[in-house]
Amino acid sequence: MKNRILLLAFLLILQYAGAQFKPDNGVKDSKPEKILLTNATIYISPKVKLEKANLLIQGNRILDVFSVGKKYDDVVQIDCSSKVILPAFIELNSNVGMPKGDDRSFRNTFGSKGSLYWNEAIHPEVEASRLYEIDAKSNENYQKMGFGFALSHIQDGIARGTGVLMSLGNQNVNRQTIKTSAAQYYSFSKGSSSNGYPSSQMGSIAILRQAFYDLKYYSETVKKTETSISMEKWFSNSSIPSFFQVDDKWEILRAHKIAKEFNVNFSFLGSGNEYLIAKDLKKYNLSVVIPLNFPEAYDVKDPYIARQVPLSDLKHWELAPSNAKLLSDQGVKFCFSSAGVKTIDVFWSNLRKTISRGLKTEDALAALTTNPAELIGMQSEFGTLDKGKLASFTVYSSDPFTTEAKLLESWLIGERTIFSENPSGEINGSYSLNIAGNKYTFQITGSPEKPQGSVQTFKTIPSTNEINGKKVDTLNQKATILRNSNDLTIQFNVNDDLFNGSINLHGKVKTDGVFEGDGTLPNGSWIQWSAIRTKEEKEESKSTAIKLDTSHLVNVWYPNLAFGFDSLPKKNLIYFKNATVWTNEKEGIIANANVLVENGKITGVNTVTTPPKNALVIDANGKHLTSGIIDEHSHIAISKGVNEGGQAISAEVSIADVVNPDDINIYRQLAGGVTAAQLLHGSANPIGGQSALIKLKWGHSPDEMVIPNSPKFIKCALGENVKQSNWGDNNRFRFPQTRMGVEQVFYDGFLRAQAYKKEWENYYASMKMKGVTPPRKDLELEVLLEILEKKRFITCHSYVQSEINMLMHLADSLDFKVNTFTHILEGYKIADKMKKHGVGGSTFSDWWAYKYEVNEAIPYNAKMMADQGVVVAINSDDAEMGRRLNQEAAKSVKYGGMSEEEAWKLITLNPAKLLHLDDRMGSIKSGKDADLVLWTDNPLSINAKVSMTLVDGMILYDASESPQREKRNESEKARIINRMLESNEKGEPFKPFVKKGKKHFHCNTIGEEGEESENTH
Amino acid sequence: MALPFLSFGQGKKILLLNGYLHVGNGQTIETALVGIENGIITQVGNSLATKIDKKYWDTIIELNGQHIYPGFVAPNSTLGLTEIDAVRATRDYNDVGTFNPHVRSQIAYNVESRVIETVRTNGVLITQATPRGGAISGTSSVMYLNGWNWEDATLSKDDGIHVNWPASIEGGGWWAEPAPKKRSENYDKEKQELIQFFDMAQAYASNKKPVFDQRLEAMKNCFQKGANFRVYFHANELQQILDIIDFSAKYGLRAVIVGGYDAHLAGKRLRDSNIPVMLQRLHSLPEHEEDAVDLPFKLPFLLQKEGIKFCLQNEGDMEAMNTRNIPFLAGTAMAYGLTEEEAVRAVSLSACEILGIDKKYGSVEVGKSATLFVSKGSALDMRTNEINLILSNGKFIAVRNFQSELYLKYKTKYEQGN
Repeated sequence: MKNRILLLAFLLILQYAGAQFKPDNGVKDSKPEKILLTNATIYISPKVKLEKANLLIQGNRILDVFSVGKKYDDVVQIDCSSKVILPAFIELNSNVGMPKGDDRSFRNTFGSKGSLYWNEAIHPEVEASRLYEIDAKSNENYQKMGFGFALSHIQDGIARGTGVLMSLGNQNVNRQTIKTSAAQYYSFSKGSSSNGYPSSQMGSIAILRQAFYDLKYYSETVKKTETSISMEKWFSNSSIPSFFQVDDKWEILRAHKIAKEFNVNFSFLGSGNEYLIAKDLKKYNLSVVIPLNFPEAYDVKDPYIARQVPLSDLKHWELAPSNAKLLSDQGVKFCFSSAGVKTIDVFWSNLRKTISRGLKTEDALAALTTNPAELIGMQSEFGTLDKGKLASFTVYSSDPFTTEAKLLESWLIGERTIFSENPSGEINGSYSLNIAGNKYTFQITGSPEKPQGSVQTFKTIPSTNEINGKKVDTLNQKATILRNSNDLTIQFNVNDDLFNGSINLHGKVKTDGVFEGDGTLPNGSWIQWSAIRTKEEKEESKSTAIKLDTSHLVNVWYPNLAFGFDSLPKKNLIYFKNATVWTNEKEGIIANANVLVENGKITGVNTVTTPPKNALVIDANGKHLTSGIIDEHSHIAISKGVNEGGQAISAEVSIADVVNPDDINIYRQLAGGVTAAQLLHGSANPIGGQSALIKLKWGHSPDEMVIPNSPKFIKCALGENVKQSNWGDNNRFRFPQTRMGVEQVFYDGFLRAQAYKKEWENYYASMKMKGVTPPRKDLELEVLLEILEKKRFITCHSYVQSEINMLMHLADSLDFKVNTFTHILEGYKIADKMKKHGVGGSTFSDWWAYKYEVNEAIPYNAKMMADQGVVVAINSDDAEMGRRLNQEAAKSVKYGGMSEEEAWKLITLNPAKLLHLDDRMGSIKSGKDADLVLWTDNPLSINAKVSMTLVDGMILYDASESPQREKRNESEKARIINRMLESNEKGEPFKPFVKKGKKHFHCNTIGEEGEESENTH
Repeated sequence: MALPFLSFGQGKKILLLNGYLHVGNGQTIETALVGIENGIITQVGNSLATKIDKKYWDTIIELNGQHIYPGFVAPNSTLGLTEIDAVRATRDYNDVGTFNPHVRSQIAYNVESRVIETVRTNGVLITQATPRGGAISGTSSVMYLNGWNWEDATLSKDDGIHVNWPASIEGGGWWAEPAPKKRSENYDKEKQELIQFFDMAQAYASNKKPVFDQRLEAMKNCFQKGANFRVYFHANELQQILDIIDFSAKYGLRAVIVGGYDAHLAGKRLRDSNIPVMLQRLHSLPEHEEDAVDLPFKLPFLLQKEGIKFCLQNEGDMEAMNTRNIPFLAGTAMAYGLTEEEAVRAVSLSACEILGIDKKYGSVEVGKSATLFVSKGSALDMRTNEINLILSNGKFIAVRNFQSELYLKYKTKYEQGN
C-alpha cells in the first residue's frame, strides 16, 4: 500500500513536471494559495452529509473539510450558503477525446504492421493515453452532468487496449492525465478489424481464449527469441483492472467463464438488463457499470403499431430504470455510466427515475463516486471529499437528488469553472413597463435562465359603428429577453398608436421587482425606461419530491418475454394414469398404463398401481404419453452467429458458449413436444464448431439448459455450402471450391492435429531438460485431436453419396468413426456402406430441390437407411418445422411404409442413440429423465396436439394453460402500453417503432445476424 | 392397391364404385359411385342405392372404401416456374422491374418439371403459376400438373395480376442497429405510386383508341366488369388489408388478399366487401412474440368463424417442392378447428371459387371436370395419404415419380445384395 501511495505521488509529480516543460507566456499565472467554500451542504461521501460546512482547498487537493468554525483570514472565501456540494462523478465507460470519424483511425498511431497480433481485433497494445485530445464540448457536457473524471478508451475490437484516466477540463492534457494505463478493455465485438475471423460471438470467445493462451506462451517461451509489441504491452498490463463491454446480460456470464479459465478479473460495462442475472452477479461477486441510458418509449399511439412491439421490449422498457434497484437488492456492486445519454436533463431525470424505483440516494451517489473509484483502485485519490483527496466536486443550487437543482460550478482538481451564477432572484411576473411615459403591461414567464416575455399593446381601430365608439385592438406581442445575472435585455416589435417598429431596452434588476435602464425607440431616439412588478408569480415549488414507484417490480418473468414464468416450475411428483404409453422399449405401446415421475426421473412404468400421496395425478384417458422429441439438428436458442465461417476449420468455437435462453422458439418447440436438441454449428466450413446438447428448459439459464456431462460433438460439413457454391461470384477464392478440395482440408486438419500431438509428446518426454519449452497451445488442433482420439463425435452435414463415401474412407484411414451424417439425403444410395462404417443418419423427411446436391433426395431415404440397419433420425434444422417433428416422422409411414412404432423412434430414441444420450433419454423407462409429452391423439396423427410437455419432471408447457397465458401476455402488454402512453403524454422522449425482421439462423447463415432470406440448408 | 398404369384417354366411360367421397363442397357420400364420361363427371351417387349397368361403362374400378377427393389446388405458387431454388438458371419467376403486369407466367411453366411429378402424387392437381417480385409481379395463370406443353396444361389463362402491397410497417437497419424511418412516409409514397399506376391503367382501359402500351394493356382486364380477372393483393398486416379494401372499392376491382395473417381482425370489413383470402402458409411461425404459439395453425378456423371466404396456399421457403404438403396444411387446419370437410374445401372448392374456376373444378359433382384422386385413407394425414389413382381433367396420371423409381431402383439393389 505504501508503495502504491509513493507511486501515485511520483506519478503526480511527474505530471506537474510535465506541465512545467512548456514555459509560461510572460509572468507565471497568479493563483490564490487557498480557497475556502463556506456554509455549504456537503456530501463528503455517500454516507456522510455535512450541513453548513466548509471546504478548504489548496492547489489541487482538499486541505480540510469541517463544520465548526475555524478562522481563516488568509484565504479566498466563496460563500456557498444554501448550496450543495457533491464529489465529482467518475465515468468508467467513455471515449471522450478519442479520435473521431473513421473507426480505424486509431490504427494510424499504433500501426497495422509490425510485430502485432495476427488478428486485428486483438490489439492490447493500443493506449488511449497516446490518442487523447481535449474535446471541450464533450468535457463540458460531462461536467454539467456532474462528472469530474472519465476513463477514456478505444471502443473497438475484442482486446481493446488500455484506457486513460482523465480529469475532465479543457486546459492542459498533462495536468489532467491522472493515470495513463488505468484499465484494460475488452468486448466480444471485433469492431473495425479487417480480418474475416471471427464473424460470430462464439468465434470472438474462441479467439480471446486463444489469445490468452498465446499471451501465456509468449511470456513463458516465445519472449526469449521473439518480440511481439501486442504481447509485451498486454503482459505489462496484466495487473491493472479490466472492463468487459457487453451487449447483453448473458455475455457477462460468457466473459466470466473466460476470466475464470485464465484467472483474471473482469468488471463489466453492462447493457442495462443486468437485473435479470442479479443473483448470478452476486454469486460470482461481479461488478457492473450500468447505463443510465434507458430505452426510450415507443410511439404507441397507433394501436396497429403498438401491436407490433414485442412484449419483451415493453417489459425491458418498464424495468430498465429499476436495474440499479434490483442489483442493489441482491447486493451487487454497481456503478452508473452516462454512456449513450444524450442530454444533461435526461441524465438527471433518469438518475432521479432510478431513485424513484427505490434505489437509495446514497447508493446512487456511491455508484457515481466511491464504487467507480474503488473499481479502478483510486479510492485514495477521489470519490469522496475527504481531507487529502483531489479537489474535484460540483456545486449545485440545491440538492440535485431531491430537487431540480441547478449546476452552478464544477471544480476539477482545484480548477473552478463557473457555469452559472445563482440568479439573485425570480423575475417572473406582471410588470408595468414605462417607456417614455407610455405604460405597457409586460409579462415574464419561463425559467430564470430562459425567461420569456410578452407585451400587451393597444391599437385604436377607427370604427364605423357609432354606438360602440372606437374599437381598441389588443395585441399580445412576444418579447425577447436575455438575462445575464442582473443585466437584462428586452426587445419587442410594436405597432400601436405611438410606435411602429422595434423597441430595444437594456437595463438592470435594481431591487427585487424593479428594473430600469436605457433603450432605443423605433425612430432611433434614446429613452429611459423602468418597470415595476405588479404581480409576482411564485415559482412552483422547486422540490420535486421523488415519488416511490415499485409497482412493476414483481413483473420479471422467466424468461422476461411472452409466455415467461412468474416463477420457475418445480420438479413435481407426477402420476399419469390411463395413458397409452409409447415406451420405445420392448414393451412397445402399452394401453391404459401409468407412469410415475419423481424428482425429475421416471420411476415407474406401469408398475405403481396407486398414485403416491401428494402426487399430481394426471388422468390421461384417451391420450398418448411419449418420451420427449429430440431434435438432432437445431439452430434455435443461439446468440449472435451460428457459423464461424471466417476460416475453413473453426473447431475451436463452441455453440455451448453462446446458448441463448431468451428465444421464444424454445417455448414454441416445447408446444410441439421437443424436449432436447443438438444445437449445431452451421455448415459454412468443412470443420465447423462444437455443438451444445441442450434441454429446452424454458426460463432457465444457459448453464442449466446445457445437458450436464453430455458427450462432445462437432459439426463438419461437405458439399455446396462448404465450397461456397451458392454464395455468388464474389466467393470463389477461399479453398476449397470443389469436393476434391474438401477432402484435402480434412486431411490437412487431421494431419496437423497428429503433428501437434507429437510435438507435445516430445515436449513431455524432454521437459526436464534445460532450455526445453512447451509448444503453443492450439485450441483448434486440440479439438481435432479429440476427434482422432475418439473423444469427440462428428455430426457431418452431407448430401450426395460421393462425399459421404469419401468421409467414411477418410475416417477409416485415420482410425476413427464418423458418428452421424446429418441431412444425408443420398444416404439411401450407400446405406449398406454406412451400416458397415457404423455411422448413423439424421435426415429430413421430404425436403429436396432447394439446391443441386439435393436433386436426387427422396422421401424414402429414412426408411431405406433404416432397412439396412442404420440408426436413423429425422431432424428439423428449422425453427418452424422443429415444432412439427411428429408430422415429419409420420411421413416415413407414408414413404416406404415404416411401422408407426419405428417411425416414432425416428425423433426420440434414435436421435438419443446418435447423441449417445440413450442411457438417460429417448424412451419411457424407469430411471430415465422425465422428459415426457402427453398428446391428445396418436402422436403421429395429423390430429395430434401436445397437451403437456415435461422436461426433467417440470411441466414447462401445458396447453390447458395456454388461453390464460395468452390473456396474460395481452393484459401485460396493454398495461405497459398504457404506461408508455402516459410517458408519451408527459413529453418524455419516444421513438418510432422499427420492426425487426423475423430472422432465424440457418445452417448457412453467416455473421451475427439471423436471416430473413431463403434458406438453403 | 397401386393401380397399374392405365393408358385410358378421354372419351372413355369410367365408373368408380364404393369410394368414400369427399365432394369438396362440405358433403360426403360413404359408399359413393362416380361416373365419368369424356372427362366429365356425369354421375355421382350412392353405390348401394344406384342400379349399375355394367355394360355401359368401359372401366369399372372398385374402390373398397378408399377415399375420393377433388384434385387439390395450389394457388399462388412458383411450382413449374422453378426447379432447383439455388440454381439461378432454373428460376423463372421473378423478373426485373417494379410494375410488370405484362410478364406472364403461363409460357414459362415447365410441364416436365420433376418437382411437379412429386406433387401430383400427393393429390395436388391444379396450381396457379404465380410470378414474384416488384410492386406488380406479373400475370398468373391456372395450370394443370400435367400436359405435353404449357398450352394443354393451361386451365385458366391469365387469371389475374399480383400486387405486392407496400409494407405498412418497415424498419431500416437491422435489429441491433435500428435506423428509424418514418414508416408512413415510405408507405404512403409507395401506395401513391400504385395509385398513380392504377389511375393510368384505368384511363387507358377506358380509352377507345389508346396508343398501345404493353404494361397498361395487361391491366385492362382489371377494370372490365364482366372479366374473370382478379387482382391478387399480397399483404398480411391489418393496415394493408384495410387500405386494400378501400383501394379495390375505388377501382371496382375483383380483389383477393394473399397472405392475410391479420385478416381475422378485419372480419366484417372483408365480408362486407366480399374479398376472399388465400391464407398464408399454415406451417409458419407466429409473427409476434406474444402471439399464441398455434395462431398460424388456427387462422383457417378464425376466418371460418368470421365468415370470410378463404383457401390455403403455401408460399414461402422451398415452396415448389413443399407444394406436395398442401394436403397436410389442410390436415393441420382440421386439427386446429376446421371440420374435415371444411378442411378439404379449403384446398379444393374454395380455392377454385377464389380463382374463378369453380364451375368446372374444385368438387366431385355432376358436370364438372374429372379432376380427382383416390387415396387409401384420409389424404390429410401423412400416414394415410397414399394415392392410388389420379385423374386430371379426365386423363389418368401415373401414380409414380422419379423418386419412387429411385426408391425401387435402390431397393432392388439391396434386395439383390450388391
